[in-house]
Parts: sequence; C-alpha cells; structure tokens
Amino acid sequence: MRKNLIITLALVLVIALSGLASAVEITVWCWDPLFNIYAMEEAAKIYKEINPDVTINIVETPWDDVQTKLTTAVMAGQLNTLPDILLMQDNALIKNVTNFPGVFYDLTDSGIDFSQFADFKVRLTTVDGRNYGVPFDNGTAITALRTDILEQAGYTLEDFTDITWSEFIEMGKDILAKTGYPLLSSVSESPDHVMVTLQSARSWMFDENGNVFIANNEVLKETVEIYVELVKSGVLVQVPDWEQYIGTINRGTVAGTINGCWIIGTIVAQPDQAGKWGITNVPRLDKAPNATNYSNQGGSSWMVLNHSPNKDVAVDFLKHTFAGSVELYETILPSSGALATYLPAGDSDVYNEPHPFFGGQPIYADITEFAAKVPAVTYGVYNYEARDAVAVAISQVLAGWDINSALREAEETVKFLMGP
Amino acid sequence: MGQTLTLRRRQSLIGWLFIVPASVLIFVFYFYPIVRALWLSFQTGVGVNLQYAGLFNYQRLLSDNVFKLSLTNVFIFLIIQVPVMLTLALILASLLNDPTLKFRGFFRTALFLPCATSLVSYAIVFRSLFALDGFVNYLLTALSIIDKPINWGGNPWTARFLIIIALTWRWTGYNMVFYLAGLQNIDTSIYEAALIDGASGVTRFTKITVPLLKPIILLTTIMSTNGTLQLFDETMNLTNGGPANATLSVSQYIYRLSFQYSPRFGYAAAISFVIFILVAILALIQMRVGDTR
Repeated sequence: MRKNLIITLALVLVIALSGLASAVEITVWCWDPLFNIYAMEEAAKIYKEINPDVTINIVETPWDDVQTKLTTAVMAGQLNTLPDILLMQDNALIKNVTNFPGVFYDLTDSGIDFSQFADFKVRLTTVDGRNYGVPFDNGTAITALRTDILEQAGYTLEDFTDITWSEFIEMGKDILAKTGYPLLSSVSESPDHVMVTLQSARSWMFDENGNVFIANNEVLKETVEIYVELVKSGVLVQVPDWEQYIGTINRGTVAGTINGCWIIGTIVAQPDQAGKWGITNVPRLDKAPNATNYSNQGGSSWMVLNHSPNKDVAVDFLKHTFAGSVELYETILPSSGALATYLPAGDSDVYNEPHPFFGGQPIYADITEFAAKVPAVTYGVYNYEARDAVAVAISQVLAGWDINSALREAEETVKFLMGP
Repeated sequence: MGQTLTLRRRQSLIGWLFIVPASVLIFVFYFYPIVRALWLSFQTGVGVNLQYAGLFNYQRLLSDNVFKLSLTNVFIFLIIQVPVMLTLALILASLLNDPTLKFRGFFRTALFLPCATSLVSYAIVFRSLFALDGFVNYLLTALSIIDKPINWGGNPWTARFLIIIALTWRWTGYNMVFYLAGLQNIDTSIYEAALIDGASGVTRFTKITVPLLKPIILLTTIMSTNGTLQLFDETMNLTNGGPANATLSVSQYIYRLSFQYSPRFGYAAAISFVIFILVAILALIQMRVGDTR
C-alpha cells in the first residue's frame, strides 16, 4: 500500500513538473480587435500546431496605453510588468529603442530573414543597423477616390494616377465647381497629410545625421504650401477630430481621401458605397528632386522584450508566423484587410483577387506593388516633437503667418526640446 | 510599570494610534513621492539616462516658449473663468437657499449633477455639441445669430471660449454646494432684521451674504485656482491643446514631455514643481487679501 502511494505521488510530481517545464505562456500587448488582435489570434492558431505547449495570451491595449505603460515600467525599473511581445507604432520605435537601451531584444541574429520584408518598413524598425521589430502591417499611402463623383465631373481614376500635386489641385477645383464635393478631408492640427507628402519625396524633418531639418527644408516648405493651397481652395476640408474625418468618408461628403492603406477598413464599412470606390497612388511634388508617387502613413511592428524569460520562444513564434507563414497572411487578408509587408505573401493568389467593393480592382496586388516603391526614410528619436511643432506651424500659416518664420519657429521649438 | 501610564498619556497614545494608519498612508503615497519628484527635478537627461544637474531644469524652463505659452493659457482660463464661475455659483446658491422656492431639491441636484459625470465623457459630449455640424452651430444658424457655422476648435479664442464654457458647466454646481452649506450657518434673523430695515435684495446679498460667506469664498477661490492651474482632462479631450497650442495646459505639456515625446522626467518634474510653487504663492496672496480675521 505504502509503496504504491509513494509511486503514485512521485508520478504526480513528475507530471506536474514536466507540465511546468513545457507549458509556456507568451503575453502580447496590441490593439484593434478587427486587425492586429485578430491577426495575432490566427498566428497563435498556426503556432499551436508547431509548438502545442505554447499559449499566446493577447491583452488588448490601445497604443497610447502601450506607450504610457512602457515608459512607466522602464522608468520605474519594473520590467516584469511588461509583456513578452508588444506591438509598436513605427513612428515611435526608434524613440523607444534609443531612450530605453537594453529593453528590447535585438532580432538581428535571430534567424529572421529581414530581406523578405518591404525595404522602407525594415528601415523604420532598424536602429544603428540592428533590427528590433518584425514588420507587420502595411501603411503604404493610397489615394482612394469615389469613381462615381469623378465620373459626374468627367474624370476617371486614370486621370489621378501618376500625377503631380498641381494637377491634383487643378482637377480638384474643377470637381468642386462641377459637383460641390471637396476631394479630401483631414483632421486639423494633425500633420499626417503633410507627413505623407514629405516621405513621398524621400525627405523628413531630420537629416541623415538626426539634426532638425525644418526651417531650410525646401521639400517641407513646398509640402506645407500645397497643404495650405488645398485648404484655401476648398479642395480639402479640415474637420476637428478623427470621428468627423471618418464621417466625411462614410457619409459621402467628400469625394476621396489620402491615407495609409489601412483606411480601406473604414471605407468598406459603408456597404451602400460598394462599387463606387477606386484606389491609386498618391500625387507627387512638382519641384522636389526626389519626388515619387509613393509614400507611407502609420503602420506598426512586433517587438520582443529583452527581460522576458521566454524570449527565445517569443522569437521562434514570430519567426514561424509573421516572418515565415504565407498561410497566415492568406488567412487574415480577406477577412480583415490586414495587408502585410511580408513580400512572399504578395505572390499569393489571395493578393491578386479582385475586390468587389472597389469595382473588381485587385487592390491588394496594386498596394503591394506601391509598397515596394515607398521611399525609405528614418523617422528618428524626436519624431513626435517635430510632428507637433510642424502642426503648429501649419496652423500658423493657415492663420496668415509667413511660412518661413513659422517653420523657423518650429525648428527652434524642436531644437529646444532636443537640447540638453 | 504598565500601571504608571497616566490617564492623560493613555488618551494621547490612543489618539496617536488612531491617526497612525492614515498618516503612514499619506507619508508613503503622498509625501514620499513628492520628495522623490523634487529629487527627480534636479536630474536631467532623456529616458533612463538621468544625471544630477542641480537647478539646470529650472533654468531651462526660462527659455522654453511652449512652457511659457501653456502658462499663459492657464492664466487666461484662471482670470476669466474662476471669477465668472464663482459669481454664478454664489448667485445660484442664494437663489436656491430661498425656502419659499418650489422644487428646490430638483434644481440643486440638477446643478450639482455635472460634476458627478466623468471628465472624459463630458468633454466628448461638449466636443460633439460644438462640432462644425454640431448642435450649437445648428441652433445659432437656425436663430439667424450667425450665418455660417463657427469652427469652435479652429481658432485660438473660440477654442479658449469653448474650454471656459465647459469648465463653467462642470464646476459651477460643485462650488454652489459649498456656498449652500455656508448659507445654512447664517442666522435667518439677520436677514429678517435687514428686511425690517428696508434693505433690498441686492443690498442683503452684498452686505450680508457675501461678507458672511467670506471664508467659504476664500476656500473655493483657492480650490478653483489650484484646479485650473492643474487643468488636464478638458484641454486634452476637447481641443487636444490646439489650435497651435492656444489651449495647451501646463499639465498636458508635462504629459507630452513624459509620455509622448522622448521622455524627460526630470524636466517634467521641474515644471510640476513650478506649478506647485505658483499655487502656493497664489493661495498665500488670496489668504492675505481675503482673510481679515
């Protein structure tokens, strides 16, 4: 009797210990249930077949909270409150890696093949030549237009493809006069529109060495001038906040929008506009030397935390899913429109299928083609400071300030914030 | 030896025991962080790379134009909004103190209700009310007061006006309750005597109500000053500091410096101590002016 009991107890102990040893839980912070969280859930399903002992615990955390929690945890030295993987906005990635050295896991030698991702996206996740993020969603900029309204004014999507901004404004004025519809809307105080145009000409608010490049940046100046002309001519209407911006698209009070391709999720949310939309590339600057018709807006990447006791598992998980599974991208694309920057997925048949909402246009193939041509820029450590300062400058120019003095003041503000 | 504890000593010991839990909590969660924040304000650097730098952060403040602008903004709110709100609260309180008024309880509750709502949700409601195609513009155009919708958040003074309206709506009832409580302590016979002497309503208000409520008026002034200097939720949610930082509050600037920009906790802590010092100075002035005991 006693012997049996001991054996049973020992067996129970062994089973319990082995359970402890192999069951690994990877915690992930990300936002948006229809997009990132959904993609993560599908990735978890795929990895379950490769490594059944690993469970992925997804905690919905809006981006603002991710940043706040990350900053608080690092500053307080409480790294154990952080997850194993988190989703990072690309425009904040360099800032966080630089300011919090050692917090993020260096993925350069992890075996992930970064050449499989769109070049501009890898550039955004690289700091001092080291890779810190597995690129995820695609922020390739698109011009989405209401083809039915264009038709009323005698234009087609073709007319808006590979054009310059002066051509765009010209046609915009004509469409406004003929139909009463402005072509674009944007959130006032948000410099997103200007940022898209700036990157399209391979320029940014910082130079190669990370110094502020605002006051003497001719490309930025041209960009702001175009924005001001768009607003003054009525071709672009400014609205106070994001909800109202979405409203202008869904209620059909504007004839189009320019944004990252993730805006498609918003456009297709209005079923009665099905078949009335088309997408094309963005207008290019007239004067800027490196002007292209391609740009990026938004986007995010997966990062592994260095302190995580299971970082090897976390890296392996990402390697087999977001950085290695065409199947994953084939699953998430049709249902969520989550367009990737993982290039092998672009060859998949799913990407070449016509999209009924966009009049049968194979939009994903088109966007993947645009993505390969997006100029690569580095957003830098002080990107948020510069964005806010340029936003103030835009407001000032719209209120009648001289553009040179507004940009000079913006440069001084950023220089001050970067100062000792 | 235990018996030598006198009654007096025993009582004071029990008294100490009662305040120990609260004091410990206050020390651990209030005073300790305040001291740490003061220490932090003497350190400079970005992210986790902080070094001791003495008063450098306080010097840096002097050349920070955004900080100066945010300080100007909160002072504009303070100078316009606090007097308007407190006068309104005082008038409402004395109206609602009239025992012959019907539905007194309803009016008191209705006026107090705004400050029981969440700061964020009321800001969102105000934002939609004052949207370009919102209710306020609709009303004003329907009544032919304006001929085209006003972009409230779009230019500096209308945006500031928006913040002031929102603040007044949210906090008038709160201050009114303090005045109502104060009014209960004023003997009705004083009013009766004044009435017999033929004093008008306005005279009774200015000669009896206001002087006798002075300590409470002082209290609400200090509290409102403190609240306005630390303003955050309204500007964050209604205007996000815009347009062109015209409604940026100091607290929101601190938030940006700590969490949106490359974090400079030392510098942000220095700004918060400047606010602390300003509140202390203003409270001192108000006490000197208001307290004549």
